[in-house]
Amino acid sequence: MKRPRPVQRRGRLSAVLAATAAMTVLAGCASGSDPSAQQEEDSTIDYALPAGVVPNWILPISTPGHTNSNVYSIVNVMWEPLISYNGSSGKIEQDTKASIAEDVAFSADGTAVTITMKDRTWSDGEPLTTRDVEFWFNLVKNNKEQWARYRAGAMPDNVTSFTVVDDKTFTMTFDRAYNQDWLLSNNQLNEIAPIPYHAWAKTGDDEEVDPAANLDRTEEGAKAIFSYLIEEATDVSGYADNPLWDVTSGPYDMTDYTTNGQISFTKNEAYDGEDAASITTVNLLPFTSVDAEENAVRSGSVDYGYISSSSLDQESAFTDMGYTVEPWQGWSVTYMPYNFNNPEMGAVFSQLYVRQAIQHSIDQENITEVVWNGAATEGYGPIPSGTESDFISDQQKENPYPYDTEAAQTLLTDHGWTIGSDGIAVCEDAGSGETQCGEGIAAGTKLEMTVVSQTGSTVTDNMMTTIQSSLAEAGIGFSITSAPADQVLAQTPKCEPTAAECSWDLSFFGTAGSWYYPSFPSGDQLFSTTGGANFGSYSDARTDELITASRFASDNAAIQEYSAKLAEELPVIWLPSPDYQVSVINSDLKGVTQDPVARFHPQRWSW
Amino acid sequence: MSSLSTPSPVTPPLSADSAGATAGRVMLRRFLRNRVAVAGVVVLALFVLFCLLGPVLYPTDQTRTDLTSANLPPSAEHWLGTDAVGFDQLGRLMEGGRLSLLIGFAAGALATVIGTLWGAIAGYAGGWVDAVMMRIVDAGIAIPALFILLVIAAISRPDALGLIIILGLVSWLVPARLLRAETLTLKNRDYILTLRAIGGSHSRSIVHHILPNSISTIIVSVTFQIADAILLVAYVSYLGLGVQSPATDWGGMLSQGLTATYSGRWWLILPPGLSIILVVCAFNAIGDGLRDASEIRGRR
Repeated sequence: MKRPRPVQRRGRLSAVLAATAAMTVLAGCASGSDPSAQQEEDSTIDYALPAGVVPNWILPISTPGHTNSNVYSIVNVMWEPLISYNGSSGKIEQDTKASIAEDVAFSADGTAVTITMKDRTWSDGEPLTTRDVEFWFNLVKNNKEQWARYRAGAMPDNVTSFTVVDDKTFTMTFDRAYNQDWLLSNNQLNEIAPIPYHAWAKTGDDEEVDPAANLDRTEEGAKAIFSYLIEEATDVSGYADNPLWDVTSGPYDMTDYTTNGQISFTKNEAYDGEDAASITTVNLLPFTSVDAEENAVRSGSVDYGYISSSSLDQESAFTDMGYTVEPWQGWSVTYMPYNFNNPEMGAVFSQLYVRQAIQHSIDQENITEVVWNGAATEGYGPIPSGTESDFISDQQKENPYPYDTEAAQTLLTDHGWTIGSDGIAVCEDAGSGETQCGEGIAAGTKLEMTVVSQTGSTVTDNMMTTIQSSLAEAGIGFSITSAPADQVLAQTPKCEPTAAECSWDLSFFGTAGSWYYPSFPSGDQLFSTTGGANFGSYSDARTDELITASRFASDNAAIQEYSAKLAEELPVIWLPSPDYQVSVINSDLKGVTQDPVARFHPQRWSW
Repeated sequence: MSSLSTPSPVTPPLSADSAGATAGRVMLRRFLRNRVAVAGVVVLALFVLFCLLGPVLYPTDQTRTDLTSANLPPSAEHWLGTDAVGFDQLGRLMEGGRLSLLIGFAAGALATVIGTLWGAIAGYAGGWVDAVMMRIVDAGIAIPALFILLVIAAISRPDALGLIIILGLVSWLVPARLLRAETLTLKNRDYILTLRAIGGSHSRSIVHHILPNSISTIIVSVTFQIADAILLVAYVSYLGLGVQSPATDWGGMLSQGLTATYSGRWWLILPPGLSIILVVCAFNAIGDGLRDASEIRGRR
């Protein structure tokens, strides 16, 4: 099969002054010269992994530290999930082609689901049966604390029985009725991937599997098997050679793995599902930085890569090379959490009118278009807005607080604040009356705050500078300190007011999006009082009720109300959500769709 | 009975002031004959005027962004165009230059003060004190300054004062070595030994005699230290450790502009890049000129 590939064009250096050396060269030279095409007689694709990502897991049961979406993509092309989700069409929905389940039927009372599987075989010819699903479930049930997706009360705690009907059908019964979308897609049923019982139900390399032993049906046996599989999965250098990983159900087999993250997949010729691969070999290429990857794109050594958003205005340079430039929207939201427990500013942040004034001062439209070069989506609430869904409310879609710094300042002056000589609002009229500053805010308090922002991105720096400027127009002081993303998270933890580390005001760690949801955008981690990622300690009884209701309700009314409430009550500063990446794709590559849940599906690509 | 003999009249000795003034004039004449050094002074003076008086003649708003005017090329309204958030680039160059020069001057001066005192004390004390102090210097020189700056960048991002202190603290080692060498030659001079013999204190020896007599070395050193500090400011800003927006410096401007390398927005890269090169070259030329002018062997 012929594969045209963009090739590097010889650089043309402008004449430069010697004294200005490298800088002048960098500024003065344009990339590119005469384009030419290079044909290769093969069926291979080189796909660029995100900068800094080194795939480090292979087992279809993720453990903490192995939850990167790229890892899921890699695992899923080798072991097809029971129920797959995909948002490539513009809406997050079940992807039956990539699912082993053929039919999913909930009981009338919603407390049980019966799943019928397709007639499939493993790559070694053995039939794929309900025993393989039960094997996965038994391992997770008996090792749940080691499963990265485990949350008390959810899978597998909420499963009261797993009943095998026959080789292709089983029923799972739950402790109560749940919202079906939540159950299917919020790290519940969509996490299940049948794994080969006949090949993996053992506790050592030299052991033969005894299918009749049903070792996984005992707690001790399940722990021993899990321990063995984890040990094997931890040995990344053995990924391509370990015979365990040769028994697969997906469209590709891993044939090469280097510890720096370079992976080669080869088409699984024994695959008998509906999602067979077209391209024979898929190479996943690791990069240490976006710049390094972009240089590889410019050299034509990548078929499917990405560029920084600031390079979007050179789109023609890439299209001239034979690439298509296509932003990849993520199923994510981006925001700055307020620290409601800050002993000084917590009382200020607790006032809705203050949060409204701040939100009025965020010019999302221009930040999206100019700062992000269009590679972002405006976001006004907790539901990702770039992809169509049934979860988002009208209130969130309509932006309750459009950019208006005069309205922002009026909100402050109407509540007892006056603008000081330095341009920053000061609380003059302390008290809890309607026209006063609010409970807990002392007279003389200045409305100024500091964000701890993520370093390493010029675009983020520019966004912060823009926000600082517009907040200043409203009379709100906004200082910026910065640190690497992991330091930002470390410096802005969920905290008690008396704790020393609770002095932070605002936090930003969303250069690549603050939070990527599973298919169902539940707020239980982000905005429930006990949510593990509720860094700002936002707490609201009605929000908690809505989050709980969204898990159990039979429709999406609860999550829509949750969307509306948080769009209006502003538990965080909502910001534009950057695209997952700005993809550059060889124009001859067909079948490319970009899944907002940040998964890639190489089996659907073809030349 | 003998009478005291009247001292024979002699030519009155030159006062210290007049001797210094003469030496200064000689040094100035020698310096002014060095065209490269004079050019350095002119360039530096122009940049100082540009940064300090420029905003008066060409006022711009360097605190409020204007996204509707982002990334504009040079025009009558914006002589050097605008940057990615709409700041006027010429005004930004003045703003950044002011901070770059301030941090460079202050950090260079701080490094020279620390290094001078450290080297003078080590050289004057000698013995184990000298050995310990200079081994500390050796150890410090063995650790690349950029490595230390990268470690700091991984932890936090300081303000301008923090940058001055950090750069001063990583730059004092070379002046310490210079001053130690100078002190070793001066401390055994007759006037120092005499001072000690009549009960003069060590601190008086150092502060009133050794340091003043090392002044040419110190002045030359400080010019190179400032040049190095300006370069270091550019380095650290380029690495993301620079001052926080809306403040900026030339290194930070260069770092921001490099994202537009392939977009042809030369006005975001060339002006700060050339400014760094010219100012650093100017300081080096001045330092070379001062060194040559103070060189005793070259005096007529």
